[in-house]
Amino acid sequence: MITFIVRRLLTGLVLLAAITTLGFTLLYLGGGDIARKILGENADEQTVALKAQELGLDRPVFAQYGDWVVNALGGDLGASWFSGQPVAAAILSRLAVTLSLVTGAVVLIAIISVTLGVLAATKREWIDRVAQVIALLGFAIPNFLFAVALVLLFALTLGWFDPTGYVQFTTSPSGWAKTVTLPVVALALGGIAAITQQVRGSVIDALRNDYVRTLRSRGIPARRVILKHVLRNAAGPALAVLAVYFVGLMGGAVIVEQVFAIPGLGQVAVQATTQGDIPLVMGLLVATGIIVIVFNLLVDLAQGWLNPKVRLS
Amino acid sequence: MRFTKAGLAAALAAGLALTGCASAGSDTQGQTSKSLTLGNVLAPATFEARNLNWGNQSIYFQAVYDSLLKPSPNGKDVEPHLATKWDYNADKTVLTVKLRDDVTFTDGTPFTAEVAAQNLLRFRDGTSPQRSKILDLADATAKDKTTLEIKLKQANPAFLIYLAQAAGMQESPAAFDKPDVKTNPVGSGPYVLKTSDTVVGTSYKFEKNPKYWDAGSVKYDRLTINVYNDATSLLNALRGKQLDAAAVGDNSILPQVEGAGFKLNGQNLNFAGLLLFDRAGKTNPALGNIKVRQAINYAVDTDAMMKVVALGRAESTRQVFREESHAYDEKLNDRYNYDPAKARELVKEAGYPNGVELTVPTSSAFPKQLWPLLQQQLGDVGIKVNLVDVGQNLIADLQGQKFGLSYFTLQRDANEWQLISNMLSPTATWNTFKYQDPKVDELIETIRTAEGDARDKALKELNTYIVDQAWFAPWYSQTLYFVTNAGTNVELNAGNAWPNLWNITPKA
Amino acid sequence: MTNLAHSTDPQIVTAPQETAKVSLFRRILRNPMALGSLTFLAVAVFCAAFAQFLAPHDPNTSVISNVLSPAGGENPLGTDGAGRDVLSRLLYGAQFSLAGALVALATALVIGVTGGLLAGYFGKWIDTGWTWVISLLMALPNIIVLLAARAVVGPSLWAAMLIFGIMLSPAFFRLVYASVSAVRNELYVDAARVSGLSDSRIIARHVLTVVRAPIVIQSAIVGGIALAVQSGLEFLGLGDIKVPTWGAMLSDGFTNLYTAPTLILWPALAIGLTLIALTLLANSLRDELERSTGPRKQNRRKPTKPQPEAAAEDIVRHDEREPEGEIVLDVSHLSVGYPTPDGGIKRVVNDVSLTVRRGEVHGLVGESGSGKTQTAWSILRLLPEGGKIVGGSIHFQGKDLATLSEQEMEKLRGRKIAYIPQEPMSNLDPAFTIGSQLVEPMRICLKISAREARERALALLARVGIPNPERTFAAYPHEVSGGMAQRVLIAGAISCNPDLLIADEPTTALDVTVQAEVLDLLRDLQSEFQMAVILVTHNFGVVADLCDRVSVMRLGRIVETGPTRSIFADPRHPYTQELLGAILSEAEPRGPLVTAGAPGQPVSTRSASNQKGAVQ
Repeated sequence: MITFIVRRLLTGLVLLAAITTLGFTLLYLGGGDIARKILGENADEQTVALKAQELGLDRPVFAQYGDWVVNALGGDLGASWFSGQPVAAAILSRLAVTLSLVTGAVVLIAIISVTLGVLAATKREWIDRVAQVIALLGFAIPNFLFAVALVLLFALTLGWFDPTGYVQFTTSPSGWAKTVTLPVVALALGGIAAITQQVRGSVIDALRNDYVRTLRSRGIPARRVILKHVLRNAAGPALAVLAVYFVGLMGGAVIVEQVFAIPGLGQVAVQATTQGDIPLVMGLLVATGIIVIVFNLLVDLAQGWLNPKVRLS
Repeated sequence: MRFTKAGLAAALAAGLALTGCASAGSDTQGQTSKSLTLGNVLAPATFEARNLNWGNQSIYFQAVYDSLLKPSPNGKDVEPHLATKWDYNADKTVLTVKLRDDVTFTDGTPFTAEVAAQNLLRFRDGTSPQRSKILDLADATAKDKTTLEIKLKQANPAFLIYLAQAAGMQESPAAFDKPDVKTNPVGSGPYVLKTSDTVVGTSYKFEKNPKYWDAGSVKYDRLTINVYNDATSLLNALRGKQLDAAAVGDNSILPQVEGAGFKLNGQNLNFAGLLLFDRAGKTNPALGNIKVRQAINYAVDTDAMMKVVALGRAESTRQVFREESHAYDEKLNDRYNYDPAKARELVKEAGYPNGVELTVPTSSAFPKQLWPLLQQQLGDVGIKVNLVDVGQNLIADLQGQKFGLSYFTLQRDANEWQLISNMLSPTATWNTFKYQDPKVDELIETIRTAEGDARDKALKELNTYIVDQAWFAPWYSQTLYFVTNAGTNVELNAGNAWPNLWNITPKA
Repeated sequence: MTNLAHSTDPQIVTAPQETAKVSLFRRILRNPMALGSLTFLAVAVFCAAFAQFLAPHDPNTSVISNVLSPAGGENPLGTDGAGRDVLSRLLYGAQFSLAGALVALATALVIGVTGGLLAGYFGKWIDTGWTWVISLLMALPNIIVLLAARAVVGPSLWAAMLIFGIMLSPAFFRLVYASVSAVRNELYVDAARVSGLSDSRIIARHVLTVVRAPIVIQSAIVGGIALAVQSGLEFLGLGDIKVPTWGAMLSDGFTNLYTAPTLILWPALAIGLTLIALTLLANSLRDELERSTGPRKQNRRKPTKPQPEAAAEDIVRHDEREPEGEIVLDVSHLSVGYPTPDGGIKRVVNDVSLTVRRGEVHGLVGESGSGKTQTAWSILRLLPEGGKIVGGSIHFQGKDLATLSEQEMEKLRGRKIAYIPQEPMSNLDPAFTIGSQLVEPMRICLKISAREARERALALLARVGIPNPERTFAAYPHEVSGGMAQRVLIAGAISCNPDLLIADEPTTALDVTVQAEVLDLLRDLQSEFQMAVILVTHNFGVVADLCDRVSVMRLGRIVETGPTRSIFADPRHPYTQELLGAILSEAEPRGPLVTAGAPGQPVSTRSASNQKGAVQ
């Protein structure tokens, strides 16, 4: 178990190294005149040159990358070129926001998808149709269109929620609820569609297992067999899809945060990448890389719990 | 997720009570606790005083710092602030400034002439985008605790207004070398940045400076400035009553903003049009030909552009100087009335019977509908336009002389010298090819030191000359809006996108 | 990371048989939903291909006097914010948007399929390398990569879609990889290899055919995702302003959302409908595919296997004395049916009658598909989905099980009627320990405490001959042998002292040596608890060993019934004779206990060895 985790983490580190190298190269190729971008339209050429020198942009790319790696290994990710904020602080302060959106979406997806998927698989009638329609809509409506529609209806017309911004849970739980609900729903739609289909499919598959009949023959009520045995066996495949979808959610957060003007990782990602804020983008790559790696590790551990046969040794 | 109406109302009320101060419905707040929430299009690049920018970012710095002088709302004149009196010597190269003696920074460090001198010199030697403005600064020294002497390399008619902007901001010397100086400013200003509640780049929270020397001018206890990257989310925030006032970057949302009960306070700030940089024809000989440049001026149906691109929120002009400026001449606006036939003729006369080909950079920073229209209209007179998307690199590419011309919008500073130093002089940032013309040089020298009628006459002559020479192809001056809700008053600041912080006040 | 690349994919569908696939596309055309989707997509592709001829105007020509003009006249759908014709842009938009999605799809296909084939077929370092690259791709957030790429190569639609295609390639990789590694070691691939076919020929002929249909389905989905992301990028303001796409139109519509709301309608409809069409197409393809191959898990015992229905004939009844003991189960004229696609009912059990008395073992014999298992399940009322009792009655302790409510049935199962399944491994839930699967029903049926149930379970395990009950109790099903598992299932079946035990081929899946032990155990338990037993089997040896009475089933009907001894001595129905004959002729030459060899025929081998003790 421990060796497995260690091995996975080591693979993760190699992966992380590859991602950052790739990222750095890409950003450098596309960077353009970053000092000019930082200073804007009013600065003269001389000042721009000074700024470039100050940031070390006049040095060879390899030296710059080397510096970054050495500092990063020492835990120093540098500071944003465009706001002066330390990268670690910039990311940590926004991580909570994005994670609460993504976690909220995952929870929402899990609850709705499991309920709907199980109902669709076991009842198979109108509820199955409803699930199919939701899946279809979830796939056919781009999430930004859905997000805009949510804002127009629930925030601006009905006034139930805040149209923009984010309030920390610790500052005000109700304020937090008013700011995260719509983005979470917008983020979850696609996932609900995909995972409901998956749950439906794997529950149907699991229902066909011989042990379902055997368990029922022992007098265990059908509902209990489904909720305890079928669901647990169906959870594996659904979890695998959810794991894949999680990376997608991190991407989806980019668009949703843009629509709701939420100060999360996605918003900073768009800004930093378009500006060419290399320290910040590198920090983001490291952060998302770690999140994805850790999440996948957790998913694998959960898979082991769900399915003793693949339990890790 | 099912709400009963009553339950919802209760939840809403609870939410309002808890988040109350952030909401714009501040009529319910007593006199004792007022808060102001503003919407901006830009975040500050840094709070470090020596690297400050201005324009849309000015509001953040006016909150935490005091400048030596205060800009008057007319944008040209200055008023006392940290400096109480100031005098030039005869040739206007030495400025003696008398400073207040009762000011301390929020970290307890006293403000002195020595500190002021350090701040000025640091700004000159820093990397602020505004740095080029005070390159005429030769030295600054403290004569005594409250007397500052500033030596200039040459007379600079805009120097006082610069001391009222970024260059004049005073930071505590104890903070100069602090590692978090870029995000945690220490000034003597009316507000203190609350770093714990601030999300850098998105939301900035300030609290009243309890020991402010001019306490009477501070009208709010709390100040929040939120940044909106796109117009739609700004509109949503305004419609959701999350803001008291905001600078609007994209005029397409104005009807809805007005519909949501906001007052539109507009000023014609920037001019929009084509900047014909390569007047010597270095990248494209055609641009060196005055007839081609004039043809470009004739070819564009500026009224139509104004309607479509600026959504009618603009005023037609062919000049880069402001309407109230002494350089401005109403008659010049008829110099290039839309005349495609004449433009076609001029292109031929210039020696291009088969037309001219120009490369124009495009950027997502400008309205999308602009590009096809521009291509169409210039194409109609025999000027083929190749559009090249340069993404975020537009300014760098323009400054790097990669393009001989570009569509752009430039701020029309109220102070003429400031405008000349930015657009016309041989060293001006926006004279990207550093084009020089003896006549222009001569007029600029006159303007530098002349006063009264002589100066006004030279200004008018300069303006007429560059319009005739078609240095630019201005289409119109865009109206920029600062919108305010029913509980907020504002006095705009001529020549700057943001009003002065102290000019935003609660309605009695 | 490694197993993420190989994790199950929702889209992975069972590989279809070659024959089934031939008719798949013909059947698709008969599926209204698929036909509708295909028609819409065909129209869209037609518009895209002939936009040059269909569009009334150039899509990029702005007419400044004509900005945001309403629909009608020159511009059937009006003009946009730059005075361009909306209809023309919609048509050209189809061209560029679909072509863009196609670029992404083609890229993903090429990389994913090639990689999946190579990695899955050759394994080794190719596998390691590809898997690693795919994991890398999956760990990168798409949007961030696209943003960064845009900064490098500029706002090109084609470049963005190319890169997105690379990011999407894991979708195909995982699909192909899983299928290919599954078939790599199949016999026919080995055979092909032995017969000297080159690797590329094997891949082309055997492997590619397996994944062809799933790839088509996945393509529809991936194409849809590419289209959606493309418009998402445009929404973020990162499009290419020179190219008219639906996303660009959407973006323009957003800008003018309040002034000209219809501008957003057309591109949103175009994108939405295309996505819906692609999804529906993928879904119906998958449905058709599943229909043609049947779901994996049911292949073994498919209830609706095409079987001719036997005509009613007289049942051969052997004379017998009226047996003693109370009748526990009385099945009379039972029929079981499954709905057919044309709305009819296919009967798999027809007019079956039998009685079982306390302490009696009644054998139900027949070949697979004869309806014996269906009869057993219908007594438990646990028929597979769709199966229904369509006639007759099942009287058990004064109740008609054929009409009893599900709740009432639940009270009987386990407590009064128990069931021993055929295959031990698949009948234990792999996710729970053996102990918990024994304890759970006892707590429900007997309403006893967890501790009591645990003690009882341990005692039962010991009773069925499990050497170390504690260890087996804590073990997971995959940790015990098949024989053990069958003992566990037997322990489970008798755990609540049932009156009727239905054993469905309880020894078929077991090793020959174990079979005898399990049969001995069953016999002991039966006499100990004095249960009535229905023993479903196709093995006359088992019948001879255990049964008091036998009913021979063929094509859903009982053809001969009577005491075991009598039927063995004097089989009258030709079918019974045939079955018995098969045993004897095959079994004689082989000696008893031939455990190795002939895996296909453990039945006959076993029956011969049982002959000796058959007649009590």
